[in-house]
Amino acid sequence: MIRRALARTAWAVAVVWAVVTIAFFVNEVIPSDPARMVAGPQARPAEVARIREQLGLDRGVPMRYAIFVTRLVHFGGSVVDAKDPKHATCAAFGPVHVDLGRSYVQRRPVVTILGERLPRSATLAAAAVLVQMTLGIALGLFAAARRRTAWDGAAMAATLIGASVPTFLTGLLLQYVLAYRLRWLPFDGYGKTTLDQATALVLPALTLGLFGAAFATRLVRDEVSAALALDHARTARAKGASRAGVLLRHGLRNALAPVVTVAGIDFGALVGGAIVVETLFRWPGLGMVSVAALLDRDGPLVMGTVLVTSVGVVAANLVVDLAYVWLDPRVRA
Amino acid sequence: MRSTRAIERALMAVAVSLVGAFGCNGALESPFAAAHPDDDTPRRGGTLHLASFADIATLDPPIASDMFTSSVLRLVYAGLVDFDANGNVAPDLASRVDESDDGLAYRFMLREGVRFHDGAELTAGDVKRSIERALAPTTPSPTAGFYESIEGFEAYTKGEAPHLEGVVVEGRYLVTIRLHERDSAFLPALAMAALRVTCPSAGDTYSPSWAACGAGPFRVPPGGWERGRTLTLVRNESYFRAGLPYLDAVTWQLNVVHGEDFKFARGELDVVRDLTQPETVRYQADERWKPFGALEKMHGMQGESMNTEIPPFDNVEVRRAVASAIDRDHIVMLKSSNLTALTKPVPPDLPGYDPQLEGQRYDHAAALQHMKNAGYAFDPATGRGGWPAPIVYDVAKQSMQEVTAQSMQQDLAKIGLRVELRMSSLSTLYSITHRRGKSQMSPQGWQEDFPDPSDFLDPLFSSKAINEEDSTNYAFYRSAPVDDALARARRERDPKTRARLYESAERTICDDAPWAFEFAYRFFQVHQPYVRNLHVHPVWTTDVIEVWLDRDRDRLARAEAPLVRRLFASLRGAL
Repeated sequence: MIRRALARTAWAVAVVWAVVTIAFFVNEVIPSDPARMVAGPQARPAEVARIREQLGLDRGVPMRYAIFVTRLVHFGGSVVDAKDPKHATCAAFGPVHVDLGRSYVQRRPVVTILGERLPRSATLAAAAVLVQMTLGIALGLFAAARRRTAWDGAAMAATLIGASVPTFLTGLLLQYVLAYRLRWLPFDGYGKTTLDQATALVLPALTLGLFGAAFATRLVRDEVSAALALDHARTARAKGASRAGVLLRHGLRNALAPVVTVAGIDFGALVGGAIVVETLFRWPGLGMVSVAALLDRDGPLVMGTVLVTSVGVVAANLVVDLAYVWLDPRVRA
Repeated sequence: MRSTRAIERALMAVAVSLVGAFGCNGALESPFAAAHPDDDTPRRGGTLHLASFADIATLDPPIASDMFTSSVLRLVYAGLVDFDANGNVAPDLASRVDESDDGLAYRFMLREGVRFHDGAELTAGDVKRSIERALAPTTPSPTAGFYESIEGFEAYTKGEAPHLEGVVVEGRYLVTIRLHERDSAFLPALAMAALRVTCPSAGDTYSPSWAACGAGPFRVPPGGWERGRTLTLVRNESYFRAGLPYLDAVTWQLNVVHGEDFKFARGELDVVRDLTQPETVRYQADERWKPFGALEKMHGMQGESMNTEIPPFDNVEVRRAVASAIDRDHIVMLKSSNLTALTKPVPPDLPGYDPQLEGQRYDHAAALQHMKNAGYAFDPATGRGGWPAPIVYDVAKQSMQEVTAQSMQQDLAKIGLRVELRMSSLSTLYSITHRRGKSQMSPQGWQEDFPDPSDFLDPLFSSKAINEEDSTNYAFYRSAPVDDALARARRERDPKTRARLYESAERTICDDAPWAFEFAYRFFQVHQPYVRNLHVHPVWTTDVIEVWLDRDRDRLARAEAPLVRRLFASLRGAL
């Protein structure tokens, strides 16, 4: 088990490094001038040149990559001194420092920006996955229990619609009905108090969750149906086990492994930012900041968001892999 | 301002479609009436709620590069001079401004007893420190070049001198700015955000972590600004204009890509200006809302830039053909609520605009004649002739120019110029069009940095603005008469002579046609009736210093709060 976990972790680190390196060079290859983006289209040449120099963009690409890699993880004091030019943009984890530089546009340490945004995206991701799994499991079990009935057909039709409608359309519809017409929930934003934030979370989480629930429902239905068709489930039923008991103990339990896989991967992807939904609902997570960074060619921030997204996806996969071992005895063997 | 965001535009378009689909095209919600409509006595208090699709990149004056940010900074920082309600330069922190006889020095007598937000007194030393901080070589200011006429500018900005020689403190409340050459655009540029006076806590050098602090009518409270989300300003109780501002606070929702009209209709926003075309038309057409809506002034211009160094645009007759072939009225119809046709480089609402100058105009027959003069005669009946190769036209994806380009493309096809659109992101477009020899033709625009013709004409058409890597003269246009007129106008103090010089430059530019001028964009602003004394300012997009609120608090409170909050409040009340 430990050996397997170590091997998977080493592989995950290699994947993240590859993704980040590719992202760095892709960002450099695309013709653009971050200094011009920072200065604006109307800035005079002298100002653009000065900003280019201040941002370190007058250095060559290999040199910038070398600086990026050597600064990414290094050692320093356990407390970051904001006035220390060598470590002002670091996040300290004990003596280990992570430094992604300073955003060209926001002129703040990238780790600070990510530190503000990541928890919000993670909250949204968790809420969305919760909605997705709750609805998906409930509806999937319902459809599996009534397989080949009109109820099953209705549930499958609903999931087909759910999977086909893009999130921005669902989001707009929910905004229009629940926020604008009925005034039950805030239209968008984040809020200052916990209550405000909780209510503001409902619509974006519901939007993402409804989309994911469509897939989860189909998955649960198929897995549970397949499990119920197996000999041991039929035997249990023949021996007098209740229908619900068989459905949950033999059907759902067998379906849990793939469901957890989907939930984990979705969570990992959403932590990197649900770009459309965050923009639509002005949810201040990583998605909004990723789009702005890409459009502004804000290199350090682009690298920061890519790093977080890739770590999120890889870590979620790692957790899912390890959870499999726990959930499915066959894998353990 | 980085306003052409692909995803935002896409969402906006879908939102508009949905509005139609869900039957929102009926009557608009009624305006929220003022509580005392017949009483014009200003009332203190209340928070004004605004929104913007844009973000604010900085609250540090020298770093600002767009008009929205500048108009917000103007509320936080006072300057030596400002623009009055008519757009004229007027004293602000200065109680008096004297210009020397030779026009090479401005003497500012400061108001006494002005306090910064942190309580410190504002003196002439703070003015000098703020200017030096803004123009220091380590400050990433995109607008420092506006002030190059200050004596010692070059040495100071290159780090060769410890201080800016031309800014002289002559007493506790007296400061003089000396210029090395006459510059008629100096005072308008000084009235902008960059050189406004910052608190002593800002220090001598720029620091990205400094907390905004000035002597303006509003201050930024702790936690008042969350990037990309909200900005709240609260009243500066010690503002030097007694009794102002009336508002307790102003708050902006930032990055609002859609739904401003929904929030406005429900009283969550008090003023809106980023409406889509259908929404704008509905507000403009509704009798109940007409008294509360107004088009803002034209602060910019758009057109087609033709690279005069790349064929076929090295031939002036081809450029004239393009300028004559474009049907500007047709382009304006694409967004008639906000666009105005433009035939010359300086937009109508700017000082120096010459209504007598006809400029360029649509004339298909003349365009065909220009093509013939150029040696590329085109026969519309047979489609024969014209320029043989396609013209590559660089345009940003999802921008408004992507739409207007298609109209232009059809117009030019009718005179034998085949235009191929090459789409790219905005950042790629900048990197192409600012570099020499990279782009044949592209849509370009210019937004007012400060209200003066020189702000448009110098960077776009002076040969001094040509640069290998970072040219703002996108057409790489050179004209000795234009260079001469612009240089003389910049130094000229007599307004009439100056206007004549600019008129001469504009006439030559329109005739040489390095650009085909097309349209100016205007925002439409609408406010609730209880927002009193809100007028469109000729320079600042949002001037709220003298705005006051006269609203029925109970009614609005009911309208504003969503159900969950109302339920929670009721429960709390019941307990």
